[in-house]
Amino acid sequence: MWKVCNPVFEPVFLLQQALNGLSFGALLFLLASGLTLVFGLMRIINLAHGAFYMVGGYLGVVVATLTGNLLLGVLAGVVVVAGTAFVVEFVLLRFVRGQELPEVLLTLGVSFVLADLCLAVFGGDPYTLPASATIQGSMTIGDVTYPWYRIFVIGVAVVIGVALTLVQNRTRIGAIVRAGVDDREMISAMGVNIAWVFTGMFVVGAALAAIGGTIGSGVISIRPGIQDDVLLYALVVVIIGGLGSVQGAAVGSVLIGLIDAFAKAWIPDLAYFTIFAPMAIVLVLRPTGLFGRTT
Amino acid sequence: MRSTRMWTRGRWSALAGLGVAAALALTACAPPGAAPSDEPAGDGSESGTLKVGYISPITGNFAIAGQEMVDGWNLFWEINGNEVNGVTVETIVEDDAGNPETSLTKAKKLVELDQVDVVVGPLLANTALATAAYTSSVGVPNLHPVAAADDLTQRSANDLTVRTGSMSGSQMAYPGGVWAADEGHQTAVTLCPDYAFGWESCAGFKQGFEQNGGEVTAQYWFPNGTSDFSTYVSQIQAAGADIAFVATAGGAPGPDFLRSFLGLGLGDSQELIMNCCGMDQATLRALGEEVLGFHSVSNWAEGRDSDTVREFNEAYAENFDGKIPSLNVAGGYVTASLVAKVLEENGLVTGEDLVSAISSYTFEDSILGKMSFDDYHNPIAPVYIREVQEVDGKLYNVPIETFPDVDQWLGKDPEEALAQPTYSQTFQG
Amino acid sequence: MNRTRIFGATGIVLLIGIAVALPYLGTTSYVISLVSTIIIAAMLASSVNFLVGDGGMVSLGHGAIAAASAYGAAWASKQGFDAGMQVIVALGVTLVVSFVYGVLSMRTSGIYFLMVTLALGMVVFGLAYRLSTVTGGENGITGVRRPELVSEYWTFYYFILGAFVLTTVFLLVVSRSPFGMSLRGIRDSESRMRSLGYSVSSYKLAAFMMSGTLAGFAGLLSVWHTHFVSPSAAGVHRSVLLIVMVILGGAGTVFGPLIGAAIVVLVENVLSNTIERWPTILGLIFILVILFARTGIVGSVEKLIRRIRGRTPSPPDDPVSPLETPLSERNPTG
Repeated sequence: MWKVCNPVFEPVFLLQQALNGLSFGALLFLLASGLTLVFGLMRIINLAHGAFYMVGGYLGVVVATLTGNLLLGVLAGVVVVAGTAFVVEFVLLRFVRGQELPEVLLTLGVSFVLADLCLAVFGGDPYTLPASATIQGSMTIGDVTYPWYRIFVIGVAVVIGVALTLVQNRTRIGAIVRAGVDDREMISAMGVNIAWVFTGMFVVGAALAAIGGTIGSGVISIRPGIQDDVLLYALVVVIIGGLGSVQGAAVGSVLIGLIDAFAKAWIPDLAYFTIFAPMAIVLVLRPTGLFGRTT
Repeated sequence: MRSTRMWTRGRWSALAGLGVAAALALTACAPPGAAPSDEPAGDGSESGTLKVGYISPITGNFAIAGQEMVDGWNLFWEINGNEVNGVTVETIVEDDAGNPETSLTKAKKLVELDQVDVVVGPLLANTALATAAYTSSVGVPNLHPVAAADDLTQRSANDLTVRTGSMSGSQMAYPGGVWAADEGHQTAVTLCPDYAFGWESCAGFKQGFEQNGGEVTAQYWFPNGTSDFSTYVSQIQAAGADIAFVATAGGAPGPDFLRSFLGLGLGDSQELIMNCCGMDQATLRALGEEVLGFHSVSNWAEGRDSDTVREFNEAYAENFDGKIPSLNVAGGYVTASLVAKVLEENGLVTGEDLVSAISSYTFEDSILGKMSFDDYHNPIAPVYIREVQEVDGKLYNVPIETFPDVDQWLGKDPEEALAQPTYSQTFQG
Repeated sequence: MNRTRIFGATGIVLLIGIAVALPYLGTTSYVISLVSTIIIAAMLASSVNFLVGDGGMVSLGHGAIAAASAYGAAWASKQGFDAGMQVIVALGVTLVVSFVYGVLSMRTSGIYFLMVTLALGMVVFGLAYRLSTVTGGENGITGVRRPELVSEYWTFYYFILGAFVLTTVFLLVVSRSPFGMSLRGIRDSESRMRSLGYSVSSYKLAAFMMSGTLAGFAGLLSVWHTHFVSPSAAGVHRSVLLIVMVILGGAGTVFGPLIGAAIVVLVENVLSNTIERWPTILGLIFILVILFARTGIVGSVEKLIRRIRGRTPSPPDDPVSPLETPLSERNPTG
């Protein structure tokens, strides 16, 4: 049965692909926004970000399965991960404040430990949100069918993106953080304890990862090794978008999501590799990323 | 470089030269450990002990499969005792974390330090091929409870390597194609992981389907690290074939694929058959009732109506919080039962004798069904078409059709099959 | 010669003596093989250590350089080429990959350098994974042949032992040369060196080429050791473990990489026999070392010895540990 034209170029397929790319990009944004915010202020790459995503995801799925309520799952994940992040920041990172390599490497050690403990506690089974806790069914417009849950993921990412931008631009907290990004001493001059601003930002970044983990577990399951996979994706997005920039993370996420989706269909032999190629190009042409600050 | 201050360059060079010279002088005569021993391994022969080295990924990304493979093996000896016909079976478990380099080091450790008589495992194809190459070079038998790489029992087959609990990748999928064609489907698309196991699985399905009148209209390949399957599902939908065959190597890709598949509402409109590992108990546990009625093809069916399977299921449930065993558990268990049967019949056998004793044995009522072995030490055993059904409140893969005595040659002569190139994206047989 | 020197000298002679005599001490080929793994890992870690210690550049992509070289040799072996050709292909691949790494990273420093090398490592991994017609994909390439001369496990052991001693000496010589001093100058302050008329980028590129070539050499040895290579060798995890080795042992010290490699390899291969949660142990050791022994095990022991002897530590030219370089010294791009 030959079709007149190749199915991978039919409009319905293309539209569906665009949505696939956008929804995966939305998930990437949930991941990358926390990473990039923490970097913007604290100048450290939190290599435990993937592990925070993982812990949040596991807890979210467990609680959502028990209660049948996605919101409770997200809350449980956020609370526990934020607590863990607080301990990591307060007990470990403060000892090495201002020394970027020890900070980065410490988060690496934390990631090792968290991932292995997750394996001990949750076992190796893939965890995915139960149907009862997700939004079921799919939306149909004309010939295009698309699952509601993935549209919901796009919505969550948009809401969080807008909220982060508003907080950053319109509130006192945002002003403090922006001041800190430009010049740390300015924060102290404003009469704010910079150590607590750092702690707060680290916890918020981790909480964003936890939200990503729980919401994301309805799209890709949480499993041993997911911490490295999502960290790599987040790093790619952040490198492309520019370290420290929320807008950059948004653009990078959408870009990578779309490239990934269309490459799988059009150049399947290079799928997966295609997310690294744009990163390499950006690094060559603009090492600080599309939205990075060129100081 | 703190210590450099203590030394001048000249002294360093002299010292290094000395070391190298000494090393070269010594290389002239071989150390005692280098003499090849005639008795390859094991002091077991006299003491009536079969020492088993069991390599499996217990940590890392494949931990669940690895742990299950170990659990199946241990379960058998726990139930039946580890003494058979006066021979004590002693097991040393080693973790390779799914890393081939570590597998190899562990295999060396087991053979040379622990002097085991037989190495069982590891799990992943690349680790299995690396380990089998080593064990066969030192004369130690190697049993594979789960590894599916075709070449273990084809191009790399040898007198010391036997696949005990699994099948080659193409062999396991072939009846799936036959069944799909018999059901009256005329076109099919396939989606398999883009490496040897996937190429083999899809080749098996395609040959079974096309030898019986069907036509595979498109083949898609996903990189093994894929998490988001939505693109592939959209492609399957766009292709609009009568049936889709989807294979995974186990773990998260199964549930992840099905999430996208169900999300797009294809559950009711697109016929689907998955392989052993895409629709195993891990998937059933993750997705629950959403996958009721789904079909898959495998050499293990936990819902088969048989006393041995029931006993095995019960024993496993008792020891592991009511869980239902997967193919990995079954592979470990059936390997242990084969070893026990052979010891019972022959007393203690090691080396090539152990492998030939296993491959000449016909296991009438194994949990996998009636098993025998071909000349390449690969099982000839049943393959089941399974359907997910609820039995007593739990989900099982229940066989709805059985293909008995399936061999690894997909309807060809062994010579003919071995003469063709290895399967790849471009060569599917 | 003062006592510290005598200690040092005796230690080194003893270490080499033991290493040379090891196969004759009743050890099995397993032990030799394990020690070989440690030495190869130490060689690779040394190449990272050179960049970290003298250049202040923390690379998260060296595992991938070694893997690229290993793939080169494995591919040549699969084509039926002899050992000489394997070396040539491996060297060629190494030089090309190192050059690309070097050119793309030479304008960056600090965390940006780390990101660039990490990214390039992922590209190499992606290629190893996806170019399956050349690399065998997930399963990798097996059955790689070793040259006749070193086909026995113990002759191979001496071969890599000699290679390790030579590379260590080579790195020491480079480090003590004017080149090494300029490199440390760049590490401590790029802007100062630039205003003194140094071409900072070319120095960094040269340093990277040296380090990359050594990493490639280690990759070649590792594929000869295990007879196969698969994408996991190029994975980020491997590169991360190299950094762990360097930091554990002591960044910028001569024997740090060896000690660090020994710990990591032994935890992975021996401790894992008895302790199931060994990845947690490894993570905890790493965290503790960063918190309490910033200069690593070798660095801390040296410090301890110096304290016991009651001597003032550093002469003015003593290199600052890269881990202690203050943040303000670093700027994102050159």
